[in-house]
Amino acid sequence: MQKIPLMLAKAGMVLARDVFRGDSPTGMPVCGKDTQLTDALITRLDQMDVQSVYVEGHPVWEEGQRSFDELLGELDLRFEKCRENPLNAMLYDIYKAHLTKSMGGEGGRQTD
Amino acid sequence: MEDKRIELKKIIMDTRTLPTLPGVINKLNALSENDKASVQEMAKIVASDQVLSARILRLANSPSYGFYRVSTISNAMILLGVNVVKSLALSSSIFAIMEKNSIGLWEHSLGVGVAANLLARKLGLPECEEIATAALLHDIGKVIISLKCVEAEQEILRLVRERQIYIREAEREVIDTDHAEIGGWLSKSWYLPEKLSEPIACHHDVASSQNHRIKTSVVHVADVLVKASGFGNSGDRYVPEIQQVAWNTLKLDQGIMADLVDTLEDKLVEVRNFSLEMMAE
Ligand SMILES: [Fe+2]
Ligand SMILES: [Fe+2]
Repeated sequence: MQKIPLMLAKAGMVLARDVFRGDSPTGMPVCGKDTQLTDALITRLDQMDVQSVYVEGHPVWEEGQRSFDELLGELDLRFEKCRENPLNAMLYDIYKAHLTKSMGGEGGRQTD
Repeated sequence: MEDKRIELKKIIMDTRTLPTLPGVINKLNALSENDKASVQEMAKIVASDQVLSARILRLANSPSYGFYRVSTISNAMILLGVNVVKSLALSSSIFAIMEKNSIGLWEHSLGVGVAANLLARKLGLPECEEIATAALLHDIGKVIISLKCVEAEQEILRLVRERQIYIREAEREVIDTDHAEIGGWLSKSWYLPEKLSEPIACHHDVASSQNHRIKTSVVHVADVLVKASGFGNSGDRYVPEIQQVAWNTLKLDQGIMADLVDTLEDKLVEVRNFSLEMMAE
């Protein structure tokens, strides 16, 4: 899952979360998760003041953005001194799962 | 050994060269003791400081705090609550002290403030804003070390690099105290309440916290989380251990932490943008 500005949304991308009017998480969603975006839908979201959307996978790459392997390497390094501690080992697993999910790897779909 | 520390405490805490909080903060702190202090009175004091007003409105309207479209100080106070505005006033002064010093440390502090706020709310704790303020201030001792002990700071950073130890271990070795203890001294000299000074002083040793262990635990865990996330630059490249006593005090579990990491990582993207905005001001 990746959060992207609506400007970068393209037809064919799939919403990973419900979309709300004007980005406010109150009231009824204007568009449900799992919906596949179309050009018409993107225009409509834009008219409703939606600024950003969550989409499945990791379709947008910014210049200079680090790859999954690089990010995982940095995570490993940060945890180098504390992995023996079971609580930290648990936190490492949580972060690794989060990284995998946000980079569009396995577990990319949210069930709720 | 003890003498050296006391001597150093004198040098570090020499009030003539210590960063001071703006008078407006002291006025606000004084007012809070007095129940009759009305929102209007407080708003007047805050509004008398233009820079502070601008910052507070900006912070109040920032997505990091989750509030929108507040245009007057009294509205900010009614909407956010007096305590929040006091925290905001305090944090914007801290920002003024920190920004000249280190952007990385400011981002780390802001990140820990946000993480502590999320955790405290998730656990349904009272006084979330105070916890967030303590979190924002938790590493203020590092600023003092870099202002007051320029040579020692170089030595500390060298030890951290060469021996790959935690910054606090290096501080203990070089100056016989550490940034947490110094932060505790500083918050006393600022007359901050104990619910702020204790979490600051004990954030690396939760067991030593006597009266505010819950708040201290939140700040400790938030610090670990933000280091795990790699957000900002605290000076430590390694994640410290989560202290069992903090874990038990807050009755944390894997599910809570996994949810928290998801929310936090989302928020940190906003915090980064917000921090860049403040830098650009
Ligand atoms: Fe610290
Ligand atoms: Fe820290």
